[in-house]
Amino acid sequence: MWRYIVRRLIWVVVVVLIITAFTYVIFFVMPPTDPAVQFAGKNPTPEQIAEVRRQFGLDKPVLAQYGLFLKHIFTGDDYGWPGLGFSFVTRSPVKDLLFDRIWVTVQLAIGAAFVWLCIGIPVGIISAIKRGSLLDRSSMLLALFFVSAPVFWLGLMALWLFWYKLHISPGTGYVPITQNFGSWLNHMIMPWIVLALLYAAFYARMTRGNLIETMGQDYIRTARVKGLPEWKVILKHGVRASLTPVVTLIGLDLGALLGGAVITETIFNLQGIGQWAVNSVFQGDLPAVLAVTVIVALAVTLMNLIVDVVYAYLDPRVRYT
Amino acid sequence: MMGKRRQRLRLVGLALAVAMVAAACGGGDEGGGGGQQAPAAQKGGVLRTATTSFGFTNGFDVTGEYLGSAFTLYGALVRTLVTYKHVAGAPGNELLPDLATEMPQPTDNGLTYTFKLKPNVKFAPPLDRAVTSKDIAYAFQRINTQPLAAQYGVYYFGVIEGMDGKAKSAATKVSGIETPDDQTIVFHLTKATGDFGFRLAMPATGAIPEEVASCHKKAGDYGRYLISSGPYMIQGSDQLDVSSCDAQKPISGFDPSKKLYLVRNPNYDQATDTTRTNYVDGIKIDVNTNLDDIFNKVEQGALDTSFTDDAPPTLLQRYATDATKKNLIHQNDGDRTWYITMNWATPPFDDLNVRKAVNQVMDKQGMLQAWGGTVAGEIATHIMPPAVLNDQLKADYNPYASEGNRGDEAKAKELMKQSKYDTDKDGVCDAKACSSLVMINRNVAPWTNMEPVVVSSLEKIGIKVKARELDSSAAYTTIQTVKNMIPIALNAGWGKDYPDAYSFAAPLFTKEAIIPTGNTNYGLVGLDQAKAGELGIKFPAGAQIPNVDADINGCQEKTDVNERVTCFVDVDKKLMETVVPWVPYLWNKVVVITNPSVTKYEFDQFSTEMSITEMAVSNKETLS
Repeated sequence: MWRYIVRRLIWVVVVVLIITAFTYVIFFVMPPTDPAVQFAGKNPTPEQIAEVRRQFGLDKPVLAQYGLFLKHIFTGDDYGWPGLGFSFVTRSPVKDLLFDRIWVTVQLAIGAAFVWLCIGIPVGIISAIKRGSLLDRSSMLLALFFVSAPVFWLGLMALWLFWYKLHISPGTGYVPITQNFGSWLNHMIMPWIVLALLYAAFYARMTRGNLIETMGQDYIRTARVKGLPEWKVILKHGVRASLTPVVTLIGLDLGALLGGAVITETIFNLQGIGQWAVNSVFQGDLPAVLAVTVIVALAVTLMNLIVDVVYAYLDPRVRYT
Repeated sequence: MMGKRRQRLRLVGLALAVAMVAAACGGGDEGGGGGQQAPAAQKGGVLRTATTSFGFTNGFDVTGEYLGSAFTLYGALVRTLVTYKHVAGAPGNELLPDLATEMPQPTDNGLTYTFKLKPNVKFAPPLDRAVTSKDIAYAFQRINTQPLAAQYGVYYFGVIEGMDGKAKSAATKVSGIETPDDQTIVFHLTKATGDFGFRLAMPATGAIPEEVASCHKKAGDYGRYLISSGPYMIQGSDQLDVSSCDAQKPISGFDPSKKLYLVRNPNYDQATDTTRTNYVDGIKIDVNTNLDDIFNKVEQGALDTSFTDDAPPTLLQRYATDATKKNLIHQNDGDRTWYITMNWATPPFDDLNVRKAVNQVMDKQGMLQAWGGTVAGEIATHIMPPAVLNDQLKADYNPYASEGNRGDEAKAKELMKQSKYDTDKDGVCDAKACSSLVMINRNVAPWTNMEPVVVSSLEKIGIKVKARELDSSAAYTTIQTVKNMIPIALNAGWGKDYPDAYSFAAPLFTKEAIIPTGNTNYGLVGLDQAKAGELGIKFPAGAQIPNVDADINGCQEKTDVNERVTCFVDVDKKLMETVVPWVPYLWNKVVVITNPSVTKYEFDQFSTEMSITEMAVSNKETLS
C-alpha cells in the first residue's frame, strides 16, 4: 500500500505542476491585463511602468519567471516557505494571505460537509426503506427543490429572512473561533446550512438510489434468511455497501470546496479562498491567482488519493495497484 | 429583434427610475428635502462603513497611492503644506494653509515658493514628535525615488529642480528643496507652474517621518505603517515598534483585505487646523463582499453608510420614492468626464469631419438614460467638467447641440459629406474603413446598457462597429496600448487630480503623454511621423493631426487664476472644435446613501468621496 501511496503522491506533484503551467500560460503569457500598467497609476511614465514590472518580476522571460515561481515554492522566498511571492494588490506576502483565508474555507467546507452528511445520508436511508411512502415522496421533493435552488438565491433568502426580518442571525461576516466561540458558531451556521442543502439533496438522492439497489442483492436476501434483525441487515449489509460511492463523492466534493465556495463566501462575506481567487482574477493579482491554483490542485488531487485509499479499504475487491 | 425590444423596455424602466431619483435628489446634494429631520451634528460616535474592496492602487502607501477613496482617508491622516476645506462644491476646491502658516506668494518670477510651518503639529504615537520641514522634504525624496513608483510623480518631475524620479534611494536629497530650519521649506522650480499650489495639496507631499518610512523601500510597502500627522491615526498605530526596521510589524487597524479602522490621534491639536471639524471619534471601514448586504445594513442601521460603492439602482429608486428616505440620498459633482475615444491614427477617425459627425449624431440623452439618468450626472458638452474651469464654461457651450441632446442626424450627415470617406456624398460613410470597426467597451452596466445607443447612433452615418466587451482593467489596458490601434472605445473616463484644468489637459492631449503602454492620450493628439515611428505604428497617410502642446503649456505658465482659467477655456473650445478627440457624454455625480444615524453628511470635493472628517453620527459606539 505504501508504494502505491508514494507513487500516487509523485503523480500529485506532476498534476499540480501541469496545472500551474497551464495557469501560468493563461495569466502570464496571455494576460487580459498588464499588471505593471494597472499598478503604475492613472498617468504613468514609461519608467514607472518599467519599475513596477521589475518589482513584480515581470521583466524576466516567462520561462524564467515560471522557473523562479517553482523554485520559490520548494525552497521558499523572502517571506519564508513555501515561497508564493507577494500580492500586487495588498503588497503583503501571499503566503500569509493564503493561510489566513484557507482556514476560513476549511471551516466552511468541513462544517458544511458535516451538515450535509448528517442530513443527506439519514434522509436517503429512510427514503429507501420507506420507499413510496409520503415521507419518501416529500423528502425527495424537498431534495429536488434544494438541488434546483441556486446557492446565491438560498443564501440571499436566508439572510433576508433570518437576519433582515427575524433578527435571529448576526448576518454576514466572520468571527474567529478564538475570539468568541458563540459568535463564531452564530456566523457559521447559516453558511454551513445554505451550502450543505444543495449537497445534502444530492447525497440523499444518491444514498436512496444506491440503497434501493443494494437491498435487492442476493446477499441481502441471504442475510434476511439467516434471521438477522432487519436493522442489522439494513445498516451492516445494505448501508455499508451502498455508501462506498458516497465516499468517492465526498472526497471530490470536499476537494473542490477547499478550493473555495465562491458564492457562499461572497454572500456571507467569509473571506475564504474562493472569493479571494475571483477578486484576484479581476484585480490582476496574479501571484494570488497562482497560489489559489496550487492549493486547489493540491486539495483535489490529495482528496482523490485519500478517496482511492479509503475506497480500497472499504471494498476488499479493490486492490492497491 | 426581441433583444432590441427588451433593451428598449429596460431603458424605459431605467428612465422612469432615473426621473424619480432625480426628482427626489432635487438640485444637488445635500440631501434633498422632506423626510426625517436630522438631529444637530455632534461630536462623538463612530462612522461605521463598509466597502466591497479597497481597491488601492499602491497598497495605501501615500507616496504612490492614486485612488480617490484613499485621498479622502489621507485627508484625516496626512497633513500637507496646503489643503482644502474637505467640503462640497467650490469652497472645497479652495486652497488653504494646513501645515503652512499661510499661503505663500511665489517669488523670483514664480520660481521660488517659501513656506513657514506651524510649530505645534505633531506626529501620532509612537513618534510623538513635531512635524518639521524635513518631513516634507523627505516626502518629496520618496516621490523622487524610482523604486517607490510615485504614481503622480509627473507633477513634480522636471518642475522642482533636481526631481526626475530616478533617484535610487529616498535618502537622496532633492537639490531644489531647502530646509534652512525646522519651520521653513523652500522650493525652487525650473519653470513657472501656475498650479503648483494644488500640487502641494496632493497627499504624497504630506509629512512622512523618515525614521519609519525609510524601512519600506518598495512601492506600496509604507501603507501598513503609515504614521499620521492628521486628526486621526490607524488604530494600533501607537503599538508600532519603531526601534528598528525588523521590529516594525503592520499596524493592526489596517488589513487591506479586511478592514481599516481609524481612531483619534491623541497628539492632534485642533487649534492648528482650520480645515477639519473631526466630528466622529472613530472611522470603521470593513470589507464586505456582499454589496446588497452593505446597503441592507445601512438601511437597518448596522452601518451609517457605504464607503465608495454605488448603491444598486433598485435601492436608489426605492429611497427616491419613499418620503421618509429620500433625504438620505446625497448627490454631488464627481468632477469626472466620461467620453468616447476616437483614435486619430485609425481610419476613418483620421478625418476631422468624421469625428465631428460622430459628435453631432450621438444620442447623448439615450446614453444618459442608460446610465440611470440625471442621478448619474449631466450630459457633457465639452471636455472639462465646469467646476474644473471655475464654472466659466458650462453645459450651455455645446458645439454639437441637438434637439433634446438626441443627436442631429441631418447635421451629422452634412459633416460626413465633407469627409473623404463619403464618396457618393450622401452623408453616410461608404468606405471600407467605416465597417467592422473594433469598439472596446466594459462588460458591465451601465456601459453595456449604453452600447446599443452608441451603435445605432453611429449606424446613422454609416459607421459600423463590432463591440468587444471586457472587464474594466482589460478594457483600459487594451485601449492604453498604442500598438493595439483601437479605433473607438466607450469605456474611458477621467477625473481631476486637483481642481485645475492642467490635470485634464496635459495627460490627455499632449504629445509627451503618448507612451507605448499606459497611454491616456487615446486620440493620439499631437502624433507625428517621428512619434509614430518611435511607437512602431503606421502614421495615417496625409493626416494632419493637430498638436495642442503649445496651447496647454502656455496656459500652464500663467499664475493668475482668472487668466489661467480663461486660457484653459480656450483650450477646451479648441479641442472640441478643431481637434475633436472625443465625444464627451457625461459629467458624473457621486451618489451616496446614508442611514438617519448620519446627522451631518459632507462631501469632499477634492477626493470626490464622502468627507470623513466632516461627517457626524448619532451612534455612541467607540473604537478602543
